[in-house]
Amino acid sequence: MTSHQGRLSRDVVESLTLDTEPWLSCEECFDLMDSYAEAVVAGTEPRRRHDMEVHLRACPACFQEVESLVALLQQDSAD
Amino acid sequence: MSARGPEPVSVALAAGTTSGATTSDPDSSTTSISGRAGSLDRDWLGELTSSGAARETALRDLHVLLVKAARHQVARMRGLLPRLGAVEADELANAAADEALVHLLGRLSTFEGRARFTTWAYKFAILQTANEVRRRAWASTEIALSDHLDLAVEVDGPESRAEANELAHAVAAAMTEALTTYQRRIAIALLVEGVPVDVLAERLGTTRGALYKTLHVARSRIRAHLVAAGHLPAGIPFGGTA
Repeated sequence: MTSHQGRLSRDVVESLTLDTEPWLSCEECFDLMDSYAEAVVAGTEPRRRHDMEVHLRACPACFQEVESLVALLQQDSAD
Repeated sequence: MSARGPEPVSVALAAGTTSGATTSDPDSSTTSISGRAGSLDRDWLGELTSSGAARETALRDLHVLLVKAARHQVARMRGLLPRLGAVEADELANAAADEALVHLLGRLSTFEGRARFTTWAYKFAILQTANEVRRRAWASTEIALSDHLDLAVEVDGPESRAEANELAHAVAAAMTEALTTYQRRIAIALLVEGVPVDVLAERLGTTRGALYKTLHVARSRIRAHLVAAGHLPAGIPFGGTA
């Protein structure tokens, strides 16, 4: 878990000022993450790539889950 | 101030960038499944919506895949639960897989085939497991929504410090002047205190999506305030303090 203990550090300032347009909800991210992860692993262009990247920069939980799915697919590919 | 572009997320993911993840092999103890379970051309949807033995076999194989994904997720987040033993970790993964299976079956009609069915299934287990690990990690931590901001800024060098302090004060002012109390408290909890969004949603009796929306609006207001005050150039595509 990340705790900045109430500090407005540089990382926090950067996160607070992120431009999160275009809007993509966590629910939409969940809907897209399977095809997105497959495209990342395959090295192809993901559907709604920009929207996903904006969201993943802004939402650590979604990033963590997409990152994990990519790793699992990579592991499957290697098996 | 200098605009800093974002690191392409897909590149970071493809390169296997981790965020505190362990690198142990989480699937080394995965129960063996029928040879068809991972088959790319298997008709999962047909089997799961059928009846009788075919459906039972598909359900069993699907559960094995979900347990595999759940174990994978537990292993990646193990650092959040340092006291979790091997048996408890496996119990957590199996319970999360059970929950994921229920959610997945409830949304079976929404599968559009844009990804392989197995990839689509994995994400349910990953989400469920990640939620549960975060929930347990924060279970003994009281979360009090606060308005307090510490403006201590950690940077190198006096010039950087002055610049960072100026921006930090401007952001703090924007949070006070441009946000509602609720927006400010949510932004502080999520971004300053680092409370995971799903944990905070559960504590507040709301949803992850609703909190992310609140944060999205808060960020937009902060940026607009900073642009109006001359602290942030307008028109940076995304990812940027400037």
